[in-house]
Amino acid sequence: MPEDFKTRLKIAKSKIKNQFEDDKEKRGSFMGNAFKLGTELVAAVLVGTIIGFILDTWFDTKPWLIIIFFFLGAAAGMLNVIRAANRMQKKED
Amino acid sequence: MANNPMQQFTVHKIGPEIKIAGIDLSFTNSSLFMLISATTILLLLFLGSKDKKIIPNKIQLIAELFYTFVAKMISDTAGSKAKPYFPFIFSLFMFVLFCNMVGMLPYSFTVTSHIIVTLIMALFIFIAVTIIGFIKHGFKYLSIFVPSGVPSVLLPLITIIEIISYLSRPVSLSVRLFANMMAGHTMLKVFGGFVVSLGILGGWLPLSFSVALTGLEILVAFLQAYVFAILTCIYLNDALNLHH
Repeated sequence: MPEDFKTRLKIAKSKIKNQFEDDKEKRGSFMGNAFKLGTELVAAVLVGTIIGFILDTWFDTKPWLIIIFFFLGAAAGMLNVIRAANRMQKKED
Repeated sequence: MANNPMQQFTVHKIGPEIKIAGIDLSFTNSSLFMLISATTILLLLFLGSKDKKIIPNKIQLIAELFYTFVAKMISDTAGSKAKPYFPFIFSLFMFVLFCNMVGMLPYSFTVTSHIIVTLIMALFIFIAVTIIGFIKHGFKYLSIFVPSGVPSVLLPLITIIEIISYLSRPVSLSVRLFANMMAGHTMLKVFGGFVVSLGILGGWLPLSFSVALTGLEILVAFLQAYVFAILTCIYLNDALNLHH
């Protein structure tokens, strides 16, 4: 008898769990994702530019490395955004 | 004083000035509100776990809700290997959440609206995750910079891009939290200023905006704490389970 009760409780619990989480989590993650993507792009560009600037002052190649690393940073930012978007898609499935 | 929307972000000293080895360690309003948030968390969890009943009372219910929320978030994003890091992520989530929420009270100070606070937390996470990665995998951890299936001509370029992407993690983590909190609170103050300057005739419209914005800000306060914690979990997952 107690075993039977336990299994029933388990089934009931999992039912409640699924119901709750479905809509709450989806709404939360949508908003979170919307806020996430913008900063993801900007941060990588910023970091790339800073690295370029530092390397420029080290090697004394004033404008060149900062230009190159700006574009590398932009590429890294897009990579970040694509990864974040992939993560979102995976969560929805 | 009331007209400047940035005035709410000034840090000022409370009590005497304390200087140790040339570093200013005075107690400020920022430290005061960190202390308030930390005390609130401790009080809530202490009262919530004091007498454990099968049918929980309200405080126990809230404490258990937070616990299961964070536990589920960790197991969903980082898997069972991340279980030992639960205390850290839980404290992080609770601290950010309560700093944001305490900041929503009138006349209070929002600790997380200062980039130095969020940047230190993000840098700590970044360094900790990197160290964990190296401990778990040794030098193989560096393979996260080299994605598989890339033609060898492009490899140096991709590696540099991956390194920049990795280094941008603490920046995006900290800037997101700080910018959201600061922008929201500035906006609230600006609309509050409109209410005062437009008076009893025209002030109703900005007042209704203010009410709506307060609701939005509470949502943002929760959401940013959630995003901060979940990204920590994701970074931890990358360090624990190497698969690229």
